[in-house]
Amino acid sequence: MAERQLPEPFQELEPYLEWSLATDRERIIKRKTSTMAEITAFYQAMLPRMDTILSYLEQYPPEQVPSDVQRLFWLTLSLAKIAPAVELYGESVPEGLDALRLVNVDIYPS
Amino acid sequence: MTTQTNGWKWHSQYPELGTGPVPIEPYISPEYFKREREKIFRKVWLNMGRVEQIPNSGDYFVKDLVVCQTSIIIVRGGDGQIRAFHNMCSHRGNPVVWQAKGRGKTFTCRYHSWTYGLDGRLRHVPDERNFYGIKKECLGLTPVAVDTWEGFIFINVDPHPQETLREYLGEVGRSFEGYPFAEIATDCSTWEIDVNANWKVCKDAFQEVYHIFSLHHKSTGSAFASPSNPYLNVHELALFGPHARMSVPANLDWHPTPVEALAKRYGMLTLQKQGGSSKGMPAGVNPTGAQDWSFSGLIYFPNTCLFVSDGGIIMHTMWPLTENRTRWEARTYFPKAKTLAQQFSQEYGRATFVDGVLVEDGGTFEKTQSMLASGAKKEVILGDEELLIRHHHKVTERYLNA
Repeated sequence: MAERQLPEPFQELEPYLEWSLATDRERIIKRKTSTMAEITAFYQAMLPRMDTILSYLEQYPPEQVPSDVQRLFWLTLSLAKIAPAVELYGESVPEGLDALRLVNVDIYPS
Repeated sequence: MTTQTNGWKWHSQYPELGTGPVPIEPYISPEYFKREREKIFRKVWLNMGRVEQIPNSGDYFVKDLVVCQTSIIIVRGGDGQIRAFHNMCSHRGNPVVWQAKGRGKTFTCRYHSWTYGLDGRLRHVPDERNFYGIKKECLGLTPVAVDTWEGFIFINVDPHPQETLREYLGEVGRSFEGYPFAEIATDCSTWEIDVNANWKVCKDAFQEVYHIFSLHHKSTGSAFASPSNPYLNVHELALFGPHARMSVPANLDWHPTPVEALAKRYGMLTLQKQGGSSKGMPAGVNPTGAQDWSFSGLIYFPNTCLFVSDGGIIMHTMWPLTENRTRWEARTYFPKAKTLAQQFSQEYGRATFVDGVLVEDGGTFEKTQSMLASGAKKEVILGDEELLIRHHHKVTERYLNA
């Protein structure tokens, strides 16, 4: 049997696993390169489940997260990334700088 | 609520700044930039970062200070003291540290392995006999004046600073002392970008909030501007020597979008949309005691805009590279998330701030710069709510003519 990709209560989100991306940069690129139809479909799949998802994620401290929970968490980060496109802009990215030019730098000790 | 006034509210408090247009030359002239470099950036205290970047003995970070034509090492010594040095080997000038940050017991130059202690002293010269009686005790790293304020680290490359950091920060600094900087700065996100614009074009965007109703009207404008204050007139603009302070209203009737509301449940949104509490905070944080207060800015001369709210901090620093090129650093500080749900909340705040507001702000910088350089006009026009931009130009003139 294949490894479970998402925690059991959230397996119906598996068709959207392409949105489960580990880095901010991957999520920006995904937002930029998706159509509004694709973005909206992901948004609509996630939003009704977010109450339950966040209650579930509230149990987990950020350290040592099981990989299925991690994938679910990354899905919510992609939702955070694309929500403004749906709720505020009505287009995938706002007019302005290319967001990829803003380089995320970790200045605190690891 | 802020009341609209027919008179010029801020001009009436600071009539000495005048009301006329401001010349464009300071934004485009290489000569003007050279004078700013020599008379301002080489003379005043510059904000390098925070103590949380170097919590332990041996922790260091390096800042390339292009505007002062140097690179600076900031390090916490074995004695816990924070020190700053020019990042230059006493042998033949190679930078001693090549990494942006790290931890160690010594600094060893990659070129010939001359080794320095965390206190800057030259400890070891390989094949020392080969040199003509050098005195190691005189060949340490060149120190740079360093001090901290509320956990922020400042340096001054002037070998003899004209005033202490505390004197330089003066009353506006004191008015923010006691804000919970250390509690909030347990986590930090930094974004950096080199933009083709003069550093003042970038800073100007954060010295006024008049643009929020327009430029940010889709992303965030309605959280601040309201039907009773449609152009987001501020609660306070106040000048303190070279620095300034602003206090910005919130729209208490603003309603979050569905995902925004979810994020808000597990943490705060950047700069407290719907208003925040300033209870127990120092006098500079919500200086008018407004109910509809969102955030306040300490506009630090020359190049830092520090915004504090109820639970989060945003800081912009503009590092000039040339007269038309700037490294823009944007930082958010929020307390370290304790759960994945809180991390989601913070990520939403960052997504609306970085991919929204900063993209919109940054989108104007290069476009504005190219038109300022066109020569089509010689001056720009400033309104009463743009007092701090006018003040910046006056302060600059004072430094350049000193």
